[in-house]
Amino acid sequence: MGSAHKLKVYKPKTRNLSLIFTAVALILLQAACTKTVTVTGTLPTPLVERVPANVGVYYSDEFKSFEHKETMPESGTYEIDFGSQNLKFFRNLVNALFTDVTEVNARELPVEQQGTFDAVLVPKIVKYGFLVPAISTLTFYEASIEYQITLVDNEGNDLGNWKIVGYGKAEGELFGAGKAVGEATMLAIRDGGARIATEVTPRIATLLSNKEMSNRELSGSDGSESPESEAENTGEMDR
Amino acid sequence: MNRKLIVLLSLVLSGCVSSRIEQSREAVTGIETDEAIVILGKASYNDRETEASFTDCIVDELSSGSSAIKLIPQDEFKDDLYPWFEPRTAPTSAEDLGKLFAEPGVRDRIDEAKVKYLAWIEGDTVTTDKGGSMSCTLSTFGGGCFGMSYWEQDASYEASIWDLDKLTTAGQISAGASGTSYIAGVVIPIPIIARPGNAACKGLANQLREFIVGDS
Repeated sequence: MGSAHKLKVYKPKTRNLSLIFTAVALILLQAACTKTVTVTGTLPTPLVERVPANVGVYYSDEFKSFEHKETMPESGTYEIDFGSQNLKFFRNLVNALFTDVTEVNARELPVEQQGTFDAVLVPKIVKYGFLVPAISTLTFYEASIEYQITLVDNEGNDLGNWKIVGYGKAEGELFGAGKAVGEATMLAIRDGGARIATEVTPRIATLLSNKEMSNRELSGSDGSESPESEAENTGEMDR
Repeated sequence: MNRKLIVLLSLVLSGCVSSRIEQSREAVTGIETDEAIVILGKASYNDRETEASFTDCIVDELSSGSSAIKLIPQDEFKDDLYPWFEPRTAPTSAEDLGKLFAEPGVRDRIDEAKVKYLAWIEGDTVTTDKGGSMSCTLSTFGGGCFGMSYWEQDASYEASIWDLDKLTTAGQISAGASGTSYIAGVVIPIPIIARPGNAACKGLANQLREFIVGDS
């Protein structure tokens, strides 16, 4: 043990062993460690006809900074912060859907702002979820976001609300779980946006148009819709 | 010498792939040098989807060489026409194009980019059979692999070509390839890899190029 010759023989093997143990430890750590997911992607402007309406839009603090943290025994902990990207996407989306858009600070408008808008739009993230191949047994990562879009009048009364689910999936790469979850989440945001642009917005346009017509007809009355018509404007649009 | 060895090794270590191409034409085609095509991978919500690497391979094949075709990148096209080419909203047949083109701005945006054809790529590569066994050991005294394993893959893809001027289907091309890969463990593992996906990509891309420029 003390001879220099023996040391020369055993040192490389000890180094090899430690390399193997390090590699194994790194693989195990990869599964156990926290993956911070960054959601990035382009912010396309929808190619749709703008609804001629002056709308306010209220983004709650929860919506602006939405975060999701989940621990899975099979693949570690995921921290997904997509509030910022989601907010940028929605600002771009809503500005392209209506002719006049103003961000407001509260769902219930202050007295000086009441009567300013045709309606106020309140988007909300109800639920977010994702699946990894270790659980779904499929070859890709999936994400879904349930949004609720509520339309309120200047006094904060519900005019209608719609629930939609945006879905996205992305191919996974070895050691690229975080990136794949981020891509799937971005695709879910896009899908949600597409549904808002093509399914929800035409309904909002009809509702605002009907409201304007009934306001004209019932000039002198408060102009609020009947509970029946409000129920018609409430819908869930699943996958 | 080294280059020859690498070429020889690649030939020896590549598995055999058999491939087939079929084409059905429904309209006369042709493309000018300033006109472009778009290659789109068919997205779906089921558990099978055209791999992004396959559409990337088609794009690489078509945009290279002396008879390269002008291509608009898939992501750019989808962004420019958002939300009309998302998995949920994309037209499912050429007959739906008329309805899509009635949407404000869509026709103008496509004309502006001079997109003449749209090719939807659908299909995937699946492992149809596998077997054999190989075990590898690693110890402080050394290591090695012994045995043999194999897997058979089948690649099946189809391109539907839509004419965006006439709003009709110009034709379909289908490409299939299958091959068996082996790994023989003789102390060191020796892989003999068949790449049916790559063969299907090259076959489909060459046929697609001929289909589009052939009559012009």
